[in-house]
Amino acid sequence: MTNILSVENIELYYDHIYALKGVSIDVAEGETVALIGANGAGKSSILRAITGLRPLKSGRILYQGERLDGASASDIVRRGISMVPEGRRAFPLMSVKDNLLMGAFTRTDKAEIEQTLESVLTRFPRLRERYHQQASTMSGGEQQMMVIGRALMARPKLLLLDEPSLGIAPKLVQDIARAIVAISRDEKVSILLVEQNSRMALSISNRAYALSTGSIALSGNSRELMNDDRIKAAYLGGEL
Amino acid sequence: MEQIIANGLYLGAQYALIALGLTLIFSLMNVLNFAHGQMYVFGGFVTYTVVVQLGLPFIVGLFASAIVLAIMGAAIEKFLFAPVIRRSKRDESTMLLAAGIAFFLDAVILLAFGEKQRGVPKIVNGVFNWDMRIIMPYDRILIGVLAILLIVVFIGFMNYSRTGRAMRALAQDKMAAQLMGVNVARYSMIGFALGAMLAGLVGGLLVTITGVNLGMGGPTSVKAFLMIMIGGAGVISGAIAGGFILGMMESVGLTVLSAYGDITYLVIFATLMVFLAVRPQGLMGKPWG
Repeated sequence: MTNILSVENIELYYDHIYALKGVSIDVAEGETVALIGANGAGKSSILRAITGLRPLKSGRILYQGERLDGASASDIVRRGISMVPEGRRAFPLMSVKDNLLMGAFTRTDKAEIEQTLESVLTRFPRLRERYHQQASTMSGGEQQMMVIGRALMARPKLLLLDEPSLGIAPKLVQDIARAIVAISRDEKVSILLVEQNSRMALSISNRAYALSTGSIALSGNSRELMNDDRIKAAYLGGEL
Repeated sequence: MEQIIANGLYLGAQYALIALGLTLIFSLMNVLNFAHGQMYVFGGFVTYTVVVQLGLPFIVGLFASAIVLAIMGAAIEKFLFAPVIRRSKRDESTMLLAAGIAFFLDAVILLAFGEKQRGVPKIVNGVFNWDMRIIMPYDRILIGVLAILLIVVFIGFMNYSRTGRAMRALAQDKMAAQLMGVNVARYSMIGFALGAMLAGLVGGLLVTITGVNLGMGGPTSVKAFLMIMIGGAGVISGAIAGGFILGMMESVGLTVLSAYGDITYLVIFATLMVFLAVRPQGLMGKPWG
């Protein structure tokens, strides 16, 4: 299998405090990879490095075999990487429709945008019901569906999901997990999933990396990790 | 009564356009453009130059001020505001810069156009008279209608065009807009250019009625700030509401309070202070653009 994404030995600092030191991860074509770890372990920093929101101190990032680090955030979207940011970051005063259309901002093929829009609305029927409603009036779960749909509007080859279960009602977390599985199955998209809800993340991913204070502590097949005693003790605990 | 309302609508439409430009710039870049009034005056002088000095039709003059001010706005954003925002973490820096640009433009206007009051000849003659209840010269009606038309076009542009949508996205969540592929530097420049263009258009419209002079810049900026404080900063509907409310207050004030001397603005300021104490975010103000 070829890697769509290779993060090679990256370091990243916030002011003078390191967030990542020597992190390497791979995502293969069509694969769903989870990054788990406690708050502040550096999971989101990896995504910010990939999307160009944060500059690297050292190391490099390859996407489809080409350098990605140093490209601007808007270039990165154009090359096929979409991110669902932590805390959803819906455009609060825009309708569901306009939020989704913003997802297709880098595309100019009008007819095909319509098609993608239709497929997103079919995938999340709730969004069709709320099509003209202002985003800020929807529940957290609905907004999460919307921003996942918004990311799909760019027809990404690599989808980055940052804490999609954060602040969502437990019942809806399952819906979101199912949606992620379905997206991975239906679309030709690789997924890099950052989650504090390790159990959920491990249950829907092929492989996973466990982060601890800026470096990778453990990695491997998700199913095996789920039964690993160290993972159980450190990340799964008794929750859920 | 009808006369007061008609005057208020006419004034309000001009004011709303000025406030829209100011609020657009504020919502996109968090910059209070103290030079907005000077941009308006500059637009008036450009139209005057094209129409009176060069003898070209009014519509050409109006287009000329729109284009000149859009270019000026883009240049000011790219070469002055963008570098300052990049280097400075404090809001005061952009405020000082904006104040500096206001003084600079005053000086440029003085050098380029002189200190005299300038106007252009009436673009249409005649006076509309509805049974002595509303009396309004046709040129005022035309300018008022043009202003309202421009407001409608602006709202349509912001709501339905790709560029307008990107600017709204940028105002509401800069980071998320970046993740959608919006080039922040480019769209900040487009937004500033558009805001300056609106100021220039109002200048071009009003030079036909009231004329322009060097001293109008500062007071116009102050009025524009009043409007967006009434309506709520950074909100399109707020700018429009603020513009029409101030226009109406002025119109009522000038008629009703004229017996007591020139106290209209004293009353407006006092009312606004009370209003802002009760509702500091303005009428439509929200935490986001």
